[in-house]
Amino acid sequence: MTEPLLRIRNLRVWFPVGTALFGKPAQLRAVDGVDFDLQAGEALGIVGESGCGKSTLARAILRLVPSTAGQIVWMGQSIEGWSNRQVRPLRRDLQIVFQDPLASLDPRMTVGEIVAEPLRVHAPKLSRAERRERVADILRRVGLSPDVINRYPHEFSGGQCQRIGIARAMVLRPKLLVCDEPVSALDVSIQAQIVNLLQDLKRDFGMSILFVSHNLAVVRKLCERVLVLYLGKPMELAPTEMLYSDPRHPYTRGLLAAVPIPDPAVQPLRLGTALGGELPSPLSPPSGCVFRTRCPMAEPQCAATAPTFDEVSKAHQVACWRWREK
Amino acid sequence: MSAVLSIRDLAVRFSTPDGVVPAVNEFSLELAPGECVGIVGESGAGKSQSFLAVMGLLAGNASVSGSARLGETELLGNDREALNAVRGSKLAMIFQDPMTSLTPHLRVVDQIGESLVRHRGLSKAQARQRALELLRLVQVTDAERRLDQYPHELSGGMRQRVMIAIALACDPTVLIADEPTTALDVTIQAQILALLAQLKRERGMSMVLVTHDLGVVAGIADRVVVMYGGRIVEHGAVKDILLAPQHPYTRALLASMPRIDEVGNAPLQAIGGQPPNPRRLPNGCAFHPRCALAADRCANERPALNVAAGRAVACHFPIRVDAHD
Repeated sequence: MTEPLLRIRNLRVWFPVGTALFGKPAQLRAVDGVDFDLQAGEALGIVGESGCGKSTLARAILRLVPSTAGQIVWMGQSIEGWSNRQVRPLRRDLQIVFQDPLASLDPRMTVGEIVAEPLRVHAPKLSRAERRERVADILRRVGLSPDVINRYPHEFSGGQCQRIGIARAMVLRPKLLVCDEPVSALDVSIQAQIVNLLQDLKRDFGMSILFVSHNLAVVRKLCERVLVLYLGKPMELAPTEMLYSDPRHPYTRGLLAAVPIPDPAVQPLRLGTALGGELPSPLSPPSGCVFRTRCPMAEPQCAATAPTFDEVSKAHQVACWRWREK
Repeated sequence: MSAVLSIRDLAVRFSTPDGVVPAVNEFSLELAPGECVGIVGESGAGKSQSFLAVMGLLAGNASVSGSARLGETELLGNDREALNAVRGSKLAMIFQDPMTSLTPHLRVVDQIGESLVRHRGLSKAQARQRALELLRLVQVTDAERRLDQYPHELSGGMRQRVMIAIALACDPTVLIADEPTTALDVTIQAQILALLAQLKRERGMSMVLVTHDLGVVAGIADRVVVMYGGRIVEHGAVKDILLAPQHPYTRALLASMPRIDEVGNAPLQAIGGQPPNPRRLPNGCAFHPRCALAADRCANERPALNVAAGRAVACHFPIRVDAHD
């Protein structure tokens, strides 16, 4: 098998918190032992509730937060210990789109400057005319007229700002695009435009996507595989259709059941099946399986020992003692 | 049965330095006892402003016309004294962001107790007892301990439950819920919606649910009102509107939503353009620039809200499909 674009092994991101006067500060385990491979051209969805570690995982991969342990292998090289200076050349291949489209654009820069900035940093040899051509090209590609280059972000709607953010990320033709909740702040009718745009860009440019989202319906549209996280730990990893049609982890089932369906014939009944409880404090996670305190299937063994990440099939892994039961 | 809340020809306008902005026009709604009506629309559709107007909570530069009656009481244009007699007792509201709508420096018990002391004349001890019952009713875990906590010590879902407890304190006739689950995780959203559905069922409470999510409406509402550009564009039983929409906007909105139960990665049917800015509403039908079915007439003449067969639609060319169940 070919070398994956990105290989994550036992990745941990812990944050020291609290100010114990004496002794060690507590460790918040935001990401705690995540493994996956990402192939070139593949879109992987990372899902879970707020506080499950999905954004931290994405940021650790981009080296925007330091990882505590484990490996981040980018195109065959372990980059987890690299300095900022060493990582910088990689950034042209690793780009990100943020949730809040307006806040992630510098209000004092014109759209042209915003989209050209990555080129200035990573392709300084380009001539002015070439740069302008590249900017116009990517703006057209994301559905904006090149005439917008002299305007400022506040003149645009949320959906247009998100297109500008995507243009900035795509102008370098990155190999990996990380999308951190890119449609969550947008109106319903605009979400579909952005989802379709990302689908088109992926098809045309062939980049890989890490799609961090709490919206499981959007993830189903866009991603080939999905990783479900809970309290920083992987619960289930599977090809999208397998995960949605045959989820094996009770948490995955709970998440799927919670997404409302706009059909009055089925939705009222789904309300009764809501997953109970809330995410426990990540500072004192439950023993054994971290999900057991909310799990409808929990039994004594779940409190004693954390389940291993078992293979349901070669492509489908799940961390649950009772995954064989339906 | 007569309506518990009756809104007629509500209009909301804001005076701004750039002129008058019409936020809501010709909004009428009758809410029956024990009924839940969902109000659906995107940003700027006027859904929240309509009910802030009913509650007398609009910004200072707003002017309101029309009528909104809660039983015998006219709410619009009434003085603060008269409004305060019904707000928090017969008419209660919960908001999107449970952090900013709770008072940060007051304990949970005092926030729930406030309206009980004010409207019902309960003593502090009685209010505390009632607050505890209410927290249990809204399924707050560890209720006794929560009474003396502050909002920042609670999770988002817990805060929204406290908001609901405050709203329920005086057993309101009508509860207005303005995007009550938008800031919450889907799992917590499902819990809160299940709670609201249960309260509606068991207490016969009438409810208005303002939301942008048609899936939320499908789970709990009896009827749905779809708004666009400050006006009602479609209105009817939830089954009719969601399964056989007649307004092109309602249909397009449904088609643009990715569904969790839909296999495959066929592109979504996005609606082009964006929701209109209320400052610059298009002439004629406000949806016509984005409408796949628009004709010349739509750009010139605003369609009236036509009522027929228990539903209403404001469109020159409504989609008529013979419904066979």
